[in-house]
Amino acid sequence: MARIEADDLRKVFRRPDKGPGLAGSLRHLVERRYTEKAAVDGISLRVDAGEAVAYVGPNGAGKSTTIKLLTGILVPTSGEVRVNGIVPHRHRIENARGVGVVFGQRTSLWWDLPVRDSFELLRDMHGLGAAEYRENLDRLVEMLQIGDLLDSTARRLSLGQRMRCDLAAALLHAPPIVYLDEPTIGLDIEVKDRLRTFLRQVVAGGTTLVLTTHDLGDIEDVCSRLVIIDQGRIVHDGGLRQVIETYARERVMHADLASRPVSLSGVAARLPGATVTEERDGLGVAVAFDPLAHTAAAVLSALQQEAEVVDLRIEEPAIEDVVRRMYAGQLDAAPGERTGT
Amino acid sequence: MTALAAGVAPAVGLRRATRAYRAMSRAAFRSLVAYQTSFLFGLLATTLAAVAMLYLWRSVLAAGTVRGFDWPAMRAYLLVAFVAGSLVSSYVDYRMAGRIQQGDVAMDLVRPVDYQKSRFAEALGFGVYELGTGLVVAAAAAALFGGVPAPARGGVVPFAVSAVLVMPLRFGIVYVSALVVFWTRNYVGVQSARIALVTLFSGGLVPLAFFPGWLQGLAAALPFAGMASTPALLYVGGLSGAAAWRAVAVQAAWTAGLWWLGRAMWRGASRQLTVHGG
Repeated sequence: MARIEADDLRKVFRRPDKGPGLAGSLRHLVERRYTEKAAVDGISLRVDAGEAVAYVGPNGAGKSTTIKLLTGILVPTSGEVRVNGIVPHRHRIENARGVGVVFGQRTSLWWDLPVRDSFELLRDMHGLGAAEYRENLDRLVEMLQIGDLLDSTARRLSLGQRMRCDLAAALLHAPPIVYLDEPTIGLDIEVKDRLRTFLRQVVAGGTTLVLTTHDLGDIEDVCSRLVIIDQGRIVHDGGLRQVIETYARERVMHADLASRPVSLSGVAARLPGATVTEERDGLGVAVAFDPLAHTAAAVLSALQQEAEVVDLRIEEPAIEDVVRRMYAGQLDAAPGERTGT
Repeated sequence: MTALAAGVAPAVGLRRATRAYRAMSRAAFRSLVAYQTSFLFGLLATTLAAVAMLYLWRSVLAAGTVRGFDWPAMRAYLLVAFVAGSLVSSYVDYRMAGRIQQGDVAMDLVRPVDYQKSRFAEALGFGVYELGTGLVVAAAAAALFGGVPAPARGGVVPFAVSAVLVMPLRFGIVYVSALVVFWTRNYVGVQSARIALVTLFSGGLVPLAFFPGWLQGLAAALPFAGMASTPALLYVGGLSGAAAWRAVAVQAAWTAGLWWLGRAMWRGASRQLTVHGG
């Protein structure tokens, strides 16, 4: 069953088009000109129960805008959206009962109140029973290790502490869908690891998760599906593995050699299409190859015919490479490879 | 799974809503403790202004009655206006405008509560505190200046109705003016304009009876009179009989009108809402 259904969703913002300086500002008062920009430009998406989706793209790609359309904060310019079977911007309050949201740069805690009071306020807003609240809170306190933070006011918390409390606040009513917008931004490695472990547990419990992030570790650790968005459009939607197969097929074999010299051109001649480079002052060779063109065994045998191989390791592409290439605009260069929904 | 509201009986929905808004009122009241210092400074400023005004009017009225006000009646008028004016001070709109400007309003929108009712619930929570301190200051000032006469006979019922309306009416004006931030992106100008209008037309500074006739007519029809002048005049007997009920009716009509204006503006604002800062 699809928890989230978005169909050709568009959101166009109108921005005042001011010239530079005071003159530009004054002219804008008389003659108003605007530029229209589609932050989200025809997005279609289905997310099923229990899926964990990473929603990735460069700054300004439309990630946060999509989340705000899915949570009913923004009203779409056109297109359809249903979450838990509800149109979020039309039934904002009903929608809010069935989702949990964390915006990494904002807090849902009451700044001047102890964290516990914020939680109790959310309990009353969601109409949770005493037993249900107790049980959810105990579980979250244990998983996120926030027991000793409950009596501090939110303004006294560090970023990492606040983020853990915010996650608890978003999950207190056990929503079937959770949206996290950059939940690990600005956190140190230890806290990140703890949050990722927590998120894996949440997903394992059957919660649908949509996660926007710049942090590739978040994706590899938590999500099984990757949606890449650029300039308001989905440029890829598929399994994490499949993305790597499609966009980062290249593997690199690093071999340590017993002696030099080795004929690089000799190796290259045996492996058409592969790139051979010298490493470690001639005591090593790196061969970058496409596994569909050459098997690892073929690469190794080509190397062994030119030199004695002492040790070797194969480097697999990481999601980093995919996204880095995408940010650099290289994915657009090969439109034929795009996969849509 | 969470029960969605569509499948919830009205009585259950109402009970749940009451619980949510009561919790918000309590939270607002408690969070004032964090601002107590700044609140007390604000209170000090308004108290000094009220005391200065009492001295000023005492010397003005030393020669006798002016425009129907003798000194004891003016005292009562000013103190009732002072208490009314201490309600819905700047917490509600400051917070609201700040959250809209910073984009934190996004967090308010993912809560399962009505935005306007939530702000009203918070205003009520602050109001308990504001009313309490306002009454204490007014009572101290009354003792200092020789007491305040009891409310005018026959005017008690319209006064009571008017006093109850002060809070939601003031909320309406503050709420509507804070929503303007969605369009202006800046609150300083809007707030100054509102404070200027309220100061002049609520009769809190100078009773509306001192205005020229045409301006009095205008002021009586505007929403601001109900924020201070109407309850204060009812208390001292400056309005009685049909005129009293007419003033209360104007006050009630504006209270309801501003509530619905706020709802309409919210609908418009949320449609063209752009949330700032990512």
